[in-house]
Amino acid sequence: MSSGEIAIRGVSKTFRVDGRPLVALDRVDLDVAAGEFITIVGASGCGKSTLLRMIAGLEREHRGEIRHGGRPVSGPSLDRGLVFQEPRLFPWLTVAQNLALGLENARVDVAQKKRLVAEHLELVGLGGFGNAYPRQLSGGMAQRAAIARALVNRPEVLLLDEPFGALDAMTRAHLQGELQRIWDHEKITAILVTHDVDEAVLLGDRVVVMAPRPGRIARILDVSVPRPRDRRDPDLIRLRNEVLQELDAIKDAAPAALAS
Amino acid sequence: MSLPLAEPAIETSSTASRGWRPSHRLRRGLMLPLLLLVAWEASSHLRLVDPRFLPPLEAIAITAREEIWSGDLFLHLGASLARNLAGFAIGTLLGVAFGLLLGLSPVAGRIAGPTFHAAKQIAVLAWIPIISVWFGFAETAKVVFVAVAAFVPVALNTIEGAASAPKPLIEVCEVLTFSRWQRIRRAYLPSALPSILTGVHLGLIYAWLATVAAEYFMTVGPGIGGLIIAGRERFQMELVMLGVVILGTVGFLLNHIATLVEVRLLRWRA
Amino acid sequence: MTVLDLPHRLPSRPISLRLLRPLVAGLRDFAVALLLPAVILLLWAIGSAYELVPQQILPPPIYVWENFRDMLAGGELLQHAGISAVRVAGGFAIGAALGLLLGIAMGLSEVVDDYVRPLFTAIAQVPTLGWIPLLMLFLGIGEALKIVIIAKAALVPMVLNTSAGIRGVPKAYVEVADVFAFTRWQKLRRLILPAAVPPIFTGIRYSLTKAWTALVAVELLASAEGLGYLLVWGRQMFWLDTMIVAMVIIGLVGFAMDKILALAEAWLQSWRIDG
Ligand SMILES: Nc1ncnc2c1ncn2[C@@H]1O[C@H](COP(=O)(O)OP(=O)(O)OP(=O)(O)O)[C@@H](O)[C@H]1O
Ligand SMILES: [Mg+2]
Repeated sequence: MSSGEIAIRGVSKTFRVDGRPLVALDRVDLDVAAGEFITIVGASGCGKSTLLRMIAGLEREHRGEIRHGGRPVSGPSLDRGLVFQEPRLFPWLTVAQNLALGLENARVDVAQKKRLVAEHLELVGLGGFGNAYPRQLSGGMAQRAAIARALVNRPEVLLLDEPFGALDAMTRAHLQGELQRIWDHEKITAILVTHDVDEAVLLGDRVVVMAPRPGRIARILDVSVPRPRDRRDPDLIRLRNEVLQELDAIKDAAPAALAS
Repeated sequence: MSLPLAEPAIETSSTASRGWRPSHRLRRGLMLPLLLLVAWEASSHLRLVDPRFLPPLEAIAITAREEIWSGDLFLHLGASLARNLAGFAIGTLLGVAFGLLLGLSPVAGRIAGPTFHAAKQIAVLAWIPIISVWFGFAETAKVVFVAVAAFVPVALNTIEGAASAPKPLIEVCEVLTFSRWQRIRRAYLPSALPSILTGVHLGLIYAWLATVAAEYFMTVGPGIGGLIIAGRERFQMELVMLGVVILGTVGFLLNHIATLVEVRLLRWRA
Repeated sequence: MTVLDLPHRLPSRPISLRLLRPLVAGLRDFAVALLLPAVILLLWAIGSAYELVPQQILPPPIYVWENFRDMLAGGELLQHAGISAVRVAGGFAIGAALGLLLGIAMGLSEVVDDYVRPLFTAIAQVPTLGWIPLLMLFLGIGEALKIVIIAKAALVPMVLNTSAGIRGVPKAYVEVADVFAFTRWQKLRRLILPAAVPPIFTGIRYSLTKAWTALVAVELLASAEGLGYLLVWGRQMFWLDTMIVAMVIIGLVGFAMDKILALAEAWLQSWRIDG
């Protein structure tokens, strides 16, 4: 897999809210190399989800250009998997059937499909819950199922919108490890949005810090700490503090914007 | 739009959760009906009321037995149920198809939606006379009318259901690059199903009432409605009462069956 | 809320245009909505002009319109509609009032509910269509029959919604009232009745709809006046224009009643949320 690079050039997005324009993203430029792990942090409402949805191809009307493997993104593709901020499981399907949705348009036979679904259920620790309905899952279990659904057809690029937000610390640490393992093993490109700065520096090759109103990239930090990483690594902690400082600076620069 | 409909007995949760022992409540509940029956028996035996108006209960039982033994009752009931089912099936199929078209296609919805919503306001019974002009008094007209009665609630609820598929799930379909047909099958239809079933449930009850109404008005051929009208014309109160009891009982049973089916098909809900 | 991608930092458009947009969209929807009726009317007109359908089966639209005009000018239409309206008003008033009282009693008192509900359910289970021939034998086919039938149809949803509404007052509020040591009367006035207003209103709406359909049923089966009778009469005389006029009027009145009550209900709900 070599075509996992993403190029974002001069991307702006304006929503209309109650007839007034609202600039959600303002001239965003970002190059993501194939196999890179990018994490994005930023205040609520600064356009992180919007950016991810545009990369996925859900949000088609915008200025600027997004390319995946050299080709312009014109709509969703199975090569780019998206884990939404909420689980979005289909309530009338069992967990296993929800996972199988991810393979609906993949070229695999029935036996392979069954095996892949079972493997990915195990992967996210839902081995015994294939036949459960979404309403029988906790919030964190549902989110894990959603992650498995995005992973199951092995996209070149995996887009994750705060995937671990609803999880307890233990499960979160476990899934962070699993995600790193899968990313490393499959050589996929990962772009992960998070509010958790520790998570951002732990997982990312680079951390993108975004600022709100209008949404834009404020700074990009390199995380040149070798893997496997330990979250207690002093270099990581130093980086974390740097990211936090950056976020504080953004907040102080525009207190009025955050207040509204 | 609706027929004069029997209210399905709604079991409110508060009724169930109250503290009385069931036997106690049962005793209270049976009090009024029993008193009523005793008063009925007494007044007809003591000739307080003309028994032609209020025949004693055993007279109704005797009539019922005669009708059963002669096979007439089954003939009437069978005829009614057959046209009920035929009309219901036609109305439901057309209703689901029409509802899906309007619910899934914005263009179709905007063109035909307002006309449908305006036309449904005509009380269903008001269609009987004109249908009898167009289709005669025989079987066809009755089935057509029953189909119209079932069509309205089915179409209405299908439109609502198909249009109500949650946007977040549609986006999941987009991300998974589902085709239009896959989206319909995987997202629109399942999320419309509860609503469709509500419509079919209502359609079943409306169809039954429409069957009887059609038989009242177009009295050719056997049927429970015809039985009741015949009883009224011959002033046979027993026959009328028997017919009305059957009318209510069949409605009750159909409602019950529909509820069971609904619960079974919607297991995925909490 | 529309999602548009506008050029970056567009100067906001003149306000008048922004306000006009929904109006224009509304007009366009309205025009589209009239498309299908227009096509049907056209086909109908063409069909009868070229006598593709016999006049006895479907009279030309112009006949229907003239018939409507004549009936309106001659006062017949208003007379029949008036009779129907009086019947509905009377039956609905009686049925809804009794239903309200019975529903309140059943909602407030478990004893009353225990005694009355099974009998009520049994009566409600027999549809209006079943009661009509039965009561025709008791009451004849005079006004009493119509009033009783319509009242019964109106009573049932009223009782169900009122009692459920009163029973459904959230327990949390009742506990607040208990903490403040409200008397029974205070609880009823300050808590239970206000909380039960929306479901009671829903009951009124259903009640009126049922009353209207019951009117059509009873006038079809046993009447010599009223809109329902107009249908039967038209049927006997093979006057399809009269039948169509009656059907349209029945639809329009049902539509108007439902719309007005729906608006009132929405207004009531918003008032409750604000207050
Ligand atoms: N469909 C939409 N229509 C109008 N405005 C929108 C829409 N989606 C997002 N926005 C606006 O765009 C801005 C960015 O939203 P977005 O969801 O991308 O933020 P976010 O960074 O993901 O926030 P969070 O961390 O809270 O998830 C917000 O101001 C939001 O109000
Ligand atoms: Mg977000």
